[in-house]
Amino acid sequence: MNVTIRSTGIKRLKATQRGESNPQMFIAIILGVVAILGAMFFFLLAPEQSTEMDRVSDATAVSTTPAAVVESAAQDISGIWQALGSAAWNLEGHAASKMPVTGVIGAHGGIPAGTSVVVGGEIPYQPSALAQRDTNRADWVNLDPAAKCYIPGIPRLTYMPAPLQILQTDSEIFIAYEWGGNSRSIFMERPGSSAPLPSWMGYSLGRWEGNTLVVDVTSQMPDTWFDASGNYHSGSVHVEERYTPMGENHIQYEATITDEEVFSRPWTISMPLYRRLEENARILEYKCVELAEDLLYDHLRRGYDGPRNLDGSTRESAGSLVENPADQ
Amino acid sequence: MRHMKILRSLAVSIASMAIAQASLADVPMKAWGKPSLQGNWDFRTVTPFQRPAAFADKEFLTADEVEDYEAAVRAGREARATAEFDGEFDQRDLDVGYNTFYLDQGTTMTTTMRTSQLIYPENGRMPGMTDRGREAAAYYRALQRRSPQGPEDRNLYDRCILGFNAGPPMRSGAYNNMMKLIQTEDHIVIQTEMVNDHRVIPTSGGEALPDDVRQWKGNSIGQWDGDTFVVTTTNFTHLSRFNGTGENMTLTERFTRLDEDRLQYEWTVDDAEMFDDRFTAIVEMQLTDADLFEYACHEANYAMPLMLSGARKQDAAGEEDDTWLPSWSR
Repeated sequence: MNVTIRSTGIKRLKATQRGESNPQMFIAIILGVVAILGAMFFFLLAPEQSTEMDRVSDATAVSTTPAAVVESAAQDISGIWQALGSAAWNLEGHAASKMPVTGVIGAHGGIPAGTSVVVGGEIPYQPSALAQRDTNRADWVNLDPAAKCYIPGIPRLTYMPAPLQILQTDSEIFIAYEWGGNSRSIFMERPGSSAPLPSWMGYSLGRWEGNTLVVDVTSQMPDTWFDASGNYHSGSVHVEERYTPMGENHIQYEATITDEEVFSRPWTISMPLYRRLEENARILEYKCVELAEDLLYDHLRRGYDGPRNLDGSTRESAGSLVENPADQ
Repeated sequence: MRHMKILRSLAVSIASMAIAQASLADVPMKAWGKPSLQGNWDFRTVTPFQRPAAFADKEFLTADEVEDYEAAVRAGREARATAEFDGEFDQRDLDVGYNTFYLDQGTTMTTTMRTSQLIYPENGRMPGMTDRGREAAAYYRALQRRSPQGPEDRNLYDRCILGFNAGPPMRSGAYNNMMKLIQTEDHIVIQTEMVNDHRVIPTSGGEALPDDVRQWKGNSIGQWDGDTFVVTTTNFTHLSRFNGTGENMTLTERFTRLDEDRLQYEWTVDDAEMFDDRFTAIVEMQLTDADLFEYACHEANYAMPLMLSGARKQDAAGEEDDTWLPSWSR
């Protein structure tokens, strides 16, 4: 059955579209390398040539290099990146505040302050939708999907407090996110295609506009939030992301959210992504399932008698976070 | 005579080179001179993991025997799907909660024509376990059979931390037997459909993790051995049990593109703490145009709260039995 579903509505890709070369291409590359080596040989053996000559040769090189090569050299956002700031807590400006765990772990349980990453400062909710946001916010610990380790979706995964790694191939750009071990493929050769069904990460189609990678994300589940402050969307949300290199070590990340069911107009968030410069920078595991099991299942453990402090004592005043179906 | 021998061996060498050249020509290459491993790979197979007793010392099958075996598998499934079951607690028609509508184990043997995926030990069977291996296996088996006291009692697959066929190493299972490889000059990503997980592996070695830093999928280091990409993985957790392995397992995976459509996947487990010998398997994966689906396991893990709720109900009633668990969990 799955086979039938798989082959429905998904554009088939030929091997050559997957960034693979054929023998003719190989020969062309070898000839190109020989030509470059020849040019290097010439200039290395003639260092006494005039500065004017160098300028001419540079100009010639630029003018005779195919535009596509120049463009592809610049269209590179591969590497390990991470957002800073506290957008994952709240996209809008906010003061520092307490989490419910400050009674257990003190200042480690604080939410850091942050300036708004929303262009214009505030998210333009429709009035009725704003009420839902406030309901979400009032009980965010129980309701935030990411607290349960559910896939945060786009754009939220971009600014979760963990690095992401971008890997570029011709047919797709793959982003591996440390947070939750999530990932997505941004398809570069499927314009006009659509997802066979909704998913937590949605369906991503990419294209280059100059050096900016533009990604249209559709078919996301309605279950994800934008942050831990109840900012949410419907299943109709469309996200247009823009990744613009701002130099060797920065990308300006923008995401424009359009969702007529929830917002009065499209709105945009903007923040830099910073290259992780450590020599041993890498994506490690942050499989958050095991970290969410206490929240999700503590009340279903044998002998459960309420939330506990780190020293094992019962926190009678805290109450159960989740209703126990076994008691019903 | 000596000259004849030399000439003959020269002719054989030239023929071998020609064959190698011909098969290399079928392998798509990356611009930087390495075989392209990129694509979505289907590793469904009905080739048994261990060699069935019926094949005894037989390592390979003929084309006719492969056809017969595949037909027998299909007939067996059909018989099971149409069987009439009786008995109040008979779960056979819905064993493990699925019937043939959901199972997607493939209908063909892997193209190695082998009688088993395991190629070492030579008998195609798993090596014996050490005392420590048997002791650990018994402990986890007992844990699986008891009424769960909390989520940690259940295995990593029930908890959606690892996928039951996603390994590492990957091994054909009930469904979602798909793997995507993304390849750049510096990295290769292994993305498994089951449970939506990935490993980002450097192609020119990589840094070992300190011994006390353990990961569910271990720490993978890659390098090219000619046209084969070799991945060595260590630093597993003690719960990352693949067929009874422990935290000190070293896994070596070898990925070789055979032609336009096939990828040879060979892996070896070395775990002297748990097994008397290493073991090695080979399958040939098939390139597919199908996309990977997002297998959001944890997000839809209704089984875990239901299992725990059931266990608490039994606690309240002073009962404990395992009839409510699927057969593979008992």
